[in-house]
Amino acid sequence: MRPIDPRLEQLRNLLVGREIEVLSRLRKVLEDPEQLAIAVGRVLPAAVAQVSSDARLGEVLAPTLEKATQSSIRSDPRTLLNILYPLIVPAIRKSIGETIDETFQSLNESLKHSLTWRGLKWRWEAWRTGVSFAEVVLKHTLVYQVEHVFLIHRHTGLLISHVAAANAVGQDPQLVSSMLVAIQDFVRDSFSGADQQGLDTARLGDLLLWSEPGPFAMLVAVIRGNPPEGLHETLRDVLSRIHDERRHALESFDGDSSGFADLEANLRECVALGQRAQISAKRGFPWFVALVGLVLLALGGLGGWRWWQNEQAWEHAQQLEAGKRRTWDGYVAQLRAEPGIVITEAEQRDGKFVISGLRDPLAIDPQLLLHQAGIDPTSVASLWKSYQGLEPTFVLVRLQRSLDPPPSVTLEVEGDRIVARGSAASTWIDRARVAGRRLPAGGPSLDLSHVHDINEGAIGKLSEAIQSHEIHFNFNQSLPTVGQDAILDQLAKELTDLESLASRLRLTARVMLTGHSDDAGNGTFNLSLSLARAEAVRALLKKRGVDPDLLAVRGAGQLEPLETASSEAARSANRRVSFKVGIEEQQ
Amino acid sequence: MTATLQKKICMLGAFSVGKTSLVKRFVESVFSETYLTTVGVKIDKKTVDLSDLTVSLILWDLAGEDDISSLRMSYLRGSAGYVLVADGTRPSTLEVAMSLRRRVETDFGPLPFVLLLNKNDLREEWAVRDEEVQDLQQSGWWVRSTSARTGEGVDDAFGTLAERVVR
Repeated sequence: MRPIDPRLEQLRNLLVGREIEVLSRLRKVLEDPEQLAIAVGRVLPAAVAQVSSDARLGEVLAPTLEKATQSSIRSDPRTLLNILYPLIVPAIRKSIGETIDETFQSLNESLKHSLTWRGLKWRWEAWRTGVSFAEVVLKHTLVYQVEHVFLIHRHTGLLISHVAAANAVGQDPQLVSSMLVAIQDFVRDSFSGADQQGLDTARLGDLLLWSEPGPFAMLVAVIRGNPPEGLHETLRDVLSRIHDERRHALESFDGDSSGFADLEANLRECVALGQRAQISAKRGFPWFVALVGLVLLALGGLGGWRWWQNEQAWEHAQQLEAGKRRTWDGYVAQLRAEPGIVITEAEQRDGKFVISGLRDPLAIDPQLLLHQAGIDPTSVASLWKSYQGLEPTFVLVRLQRSLDPPPSVTLEVEGDRIVARGSAASTWIDRARVAGRRLPAGGPSLDLSHVHDINEGAIGKLSEAIQSHEIHFNFNQSLPTVGQDAILDQLAKELTDLESLASRLRLTARVMLTGHSDDAGNGTFNLSLSLARAEAVRALLKKRGVDPDLLAVRGAGQLEPLETASSEAARSANRRVSFKVGIEEQQ
Repeated sequence: MTATLQKKICMLGAFSVGKTSLVKRFVESVFSETYLTTVGVKIDKKTVDLSDLTVSLILWDLAGEDDISSLRMSYLRGSAGYVLVADGTRPSTLEVAMSLRRRVETDFGPLPFVLLLNKNDLREEWAVRDEEVQDLQQSGWWVRSTSARTGEGVDDAFGTLAERVVR
């Protein structure tokens, strides 16, 4: 190593001694893992808070958290169990309770009917169709009808939607739903239940009230008769489907139920549920009578046995056929209720089901429903022709695809209209207006009255103010005529205001500075002179603190004159820089 | 007609200020008054026509309490506004109304409300001083004097409240 000149060292100490000290302190922190950990630890919470809205943080941390959870479970599962306990236990308890109820219900019914003639008949049916005896008993004995279904907003107790069976009577549903919520509150308060728990079953004579709670809305069914426990599951499915489809609307519900008309179809599904009473047979014989009957039957001889067998086989085939027919009718009814599907023909021909009609490409796939209904697709011949439906939901999807609305605009179906809300550039609004006019008559219309033009309001005024300015130049000069400092100061202030206002409104502003020349002299020279003028004004504005990224420049030469006369006054007016503001949505 | 826009409104007031009589004469009611003493609340409905829309006020008539600590606050959850009722002939009920309002404000924040000074028809027994009412009005309260007996001021009061919860 070369010896260092002590004078140089002294000079260095004099000039940057303090910085060297700071640097060595920082270096010590960086190189000592312990100190570095303390330093990072001090800012870590603030740093995480800063980026907590960034989705990437979650993605980056997820694998680590998963590993941490796994190792926590491995080392001591009790910790996690204690955390989850209050959530899991009520759910398990409820599920076990319902299963036990269901088992008891079927056991009860089985016992009640096992030693009667009817019971033997059902046992026969169970053996023939391959389902359990208990299920056959339930099928014949559980007679019930869902009379009312209420969808109630949990927070306010206000009614969102209500459907009643055709023959059902009841009071004003809006009042009833609030009273139901009040009574639930009352039970919860009086017997201090947990917040998520409430009254889920109430019985009055043969009228039964079942309530299924969801995150934002609850479904209350008023049932007459003796429903199977499995109906809970059906109601829960409908409720969770409603939440999946309309979560945001339910969360922000403020009493206006007009946007929820489409939910009636879901509720109607529940109201349609029921098991009609069978034509009741005579009261069951005692079991020994049945036994004697069986013995007599056994003695009936071969001919009688054959006849009996044929009869049974025929009846079996008939019943299978009737079962298939019922499934098919259910499928057709379900399909008919789907929007965008028009059935023109549905019948049974030569042992095959034939269905044909029109289908909007956005409607549900009939083949998929076929699977869900449990019908063998090879036994069905389908013929669907495409058409374009005018259902508001379909028109909405089409509009969303063709208009490609900016993130600040939402489109929603409201009654028979599609309403756009938010703010957008005027170009988009114009495009949307044209698309709205082209919508076929008779279908939903597009309501754009709630979309604000981003060029209006404060930002519009500011843009107009900026555009009203001009900077003037002397003949053949690229620097502005003296005495325009006040205008430039004013411009700089307005441009700074514009930028901060735009960023507050999440908009991007661009200002085009266009330089112009008079018509004296060579066109090419004028073009570069005009560009130089625009550049000069940009430099002057930059000097006054305007962000240069906001400003774009171009030269128009003599091609865009303000005045076309050939007087000196006109030429002087044409030697200028003009301003044009453009506002766009931030991407 | 059933309006599609509904708002939950609570009716609060001291014991026997005429709250239930107000409700009984001027709104649609299907439940009996025994609900008030059993469940502590009764639901009624008042349909109000505003200039451009119809709104159903779903009224939660809470049982009158002189001791406000026993009020079931959970019934107020999700309210868009509330009606305070006091008896113009008994200044102590105005005190109760004021403390009810403080209680609601503490638990649920500021909500639109209107104060009804009831029993306006008993003018000779009127005991609430005009200055007191003016003081309340100056501090932003909407005060209406009403009579459940003659109906004076009732529709106007519900209309005002509906206007304020909708806008």
